Amino acid sequence: MSPPLPPWDGFGSGKKTLKSKGASAPAASAIPASNEPRPARPGSARPGPQVPPNGLLQPGRPSLGGGGDFYDVAFKVMLVGDSGVGKTCLLVRFKDGAFLAGTFISTVGIDFRNKVLDVDGMKVKLQIWDTAGQERFRSVTHAYYRDAHALLLLYDVTNKASFDNIQAWLTEIQEYAQHDVVLMLLGNKVDSTQERVVKREDGEKLAKEYGLPFMETSAKTGLNVDLAFTAIAKELKQRSTKAPSEPRFQLHDYVKREGRVPSCCRP
Amino acid sequence: MEPAERAQAARDRVPRIDPYGFERPEDFDYAAYEEFFSTYLVILTRRAIKWSKLLKGSSSVQKSMTVKRYIRKGVPLEHRARVWMGVSGAQAQMDRNPGYYHRLLQGERNDSLEEAIRTDMNRTFPDNIKFRKSADPCLQKTLYNVLLAYGHHNQGVGYCQGMNFIAGYLILITKNEEESFWLLDALVGRILPDYYSPAMLGLKMDQEVLGELVRTKLPAVAALMDGHGVLWTLVVSRWFICLFVDILPVETVLRIWDCLFNEGSKIIFRVALTLIKQHQAFILEASSVADICEKFKEITKGSFVMECHTFMQKIFSEPGSLSMTTITRLRESCRAKLLAQG
Repeated sequence: MSPPLPPWDGFGSGKKTLKSKGASAPAASAIPASNEPRPARPGSARPGPQVPPNGLLQPGRPSLGGGGDFYDVAFKVMLVGDSGVGKTCLLVRFKDGAFLAGTFISTVGIDFRNKVLDVDGMKVKLQIWDTAGQERFRSVTHAYYRDAHALLLLYDVTNKASFDNIQAWLTEIQEYAQHDVVLMLLGNKVDSTQERVVKREDGEKLAKEYGLPFMETSAKTGLNVDLAFTAIAKELKQRSTKAPSEPRFQLHDYVKREGRVPSCCRP
Repeated sequence: MEPAERAQAARDRVPRIDPYGFERPEDFDYAAYEEFFSTYLVILTRRAIKWSKLLKGSSSVQKSMTVKRYIRKGVPLEHRARVWMGVSGAQAQMDRNPGYYHRLLQGERNDSLEEAIRTDMNRTFPDNIKFRKSADPCLQKTLYNVLLAYGHHNQGVGYCQGMNFIAGYLILITKNEEESFWLLDALVGRILPDYYSPAMLGLKMDQEVLGELVRTKLPAVAALMDGHGVLWTLVVSRWFICLFVDILPVETVLRIWDCLFNEGSKIIFRVALTLIKQHQAFILEASSVADICEKFKEITKGSFVMECHTFMQKIFSEPGSLSMTTITRLRESCRAKLLAQG
């Protein structure tokens, strides 16, 4: 095995603190929904669309493209991991509460769906990007890591290779994503108890090594799916809006406390 | 009749499953389809008669101006496999290499290739009854063989997601494993630049070429994309990789492929430019990256793309002149730029 990467830089592991506020690029998208007219982008030839200087999502504006939802803050989340680990199914389970049993096609390229969550009284819009998992598509998709606020990194507990590849994914993420991107490791398909080849402890161990929050999920049963996205939304919302006096949201603790253990793994 | 009644009546008359085995989607507009098809059927009949005369007594189809004109007006389903095989050179390759396909299937095993292909088996056309596990014969096995043979044949490419959809269509049209293999080879090995090789350089190049063509022909759309920092790959990568499969209606895709096999990859640019030009005003309403993505999905739906005969006429008129010299020049400069970027 190649030497492990250092624990996630700037990630809220409890050991490391976030970079000073304001320096955090992803948090910059958390624009309060004041609905005040924003100055047009300087140098922009087109007067119409108003884009924040960082090119990130603009909240509070009803738009067909955004599903017509109102929201207070918006974040970009990306799903990554090997081909066939269940990224699209996880997203559809979260978005529509349904499981795509044999009715979905391989994701080619990149796609996204929006969902607005209520997080402690605030409307948080997650724009969730689904990517092709096959290795050669990484060179097409990693351009989009750059402005992702959070990444959900998935492996399939019934596929050892997808677990072994997590390290390669982390290297890729470290190279292309923001240094303080919120990152979570998910072991999916835990409903397939018979076919499981990656033990829960292995996932936990790997996550600990890199200082990542970790959960096992099932897009089929829904286990921990909403929780994973809610946790991400809470963390991102807190990062963007936290008053100095407020206690910091502890993503690791939250995930540990709220995460349900698949019935097969209970002692 | 009231519109609702008309819709229901059309629903009762139009089969739930199309001639290729695809279940019609939930939101399928039966009334609009029926109306379109009643006109299209006349065209199909006329073309079928013309083609039968053209092909009478000849065993193979050779490229010619007449054939080009005929192909642009649509190849009847009964002749499609034969015409594709002829004009693409696949037939000639197959004739020159008897037994080659079967030898490929018996070649040395390659676990990672097999695994990559297997991962996509249940994810290729789950909405097509012929690709269901329960189907007899089940085309999944045929698809697996074609992709595996191709991975052995072209080891520089192996298997790339997207090829599953292309091979799937080839199988549905030819109903022949070996012919599907040679047509896949014609597309991946000759007609398209290197879209599917691990670096996907040809794909990136053609996306940039489209960007340049849009800059010249539809500058307002290019400015919108630039203004929002949207890379073309975000909105069109599937168009190129899947050659419009699962993006445009089946019949429209087949009509596009008729020309693709005969005239080559610049047809893809014609289709893309036509879609964008036709919906330029609609696209320009977009006010965010998400909007732009949404609009690019929308423009591949509705009557404009369903009415395949008119659509095909438009792809040769709307984008204006598009010489192979221009495409080649743009491809060279875009490729050089990409290579310089690393």
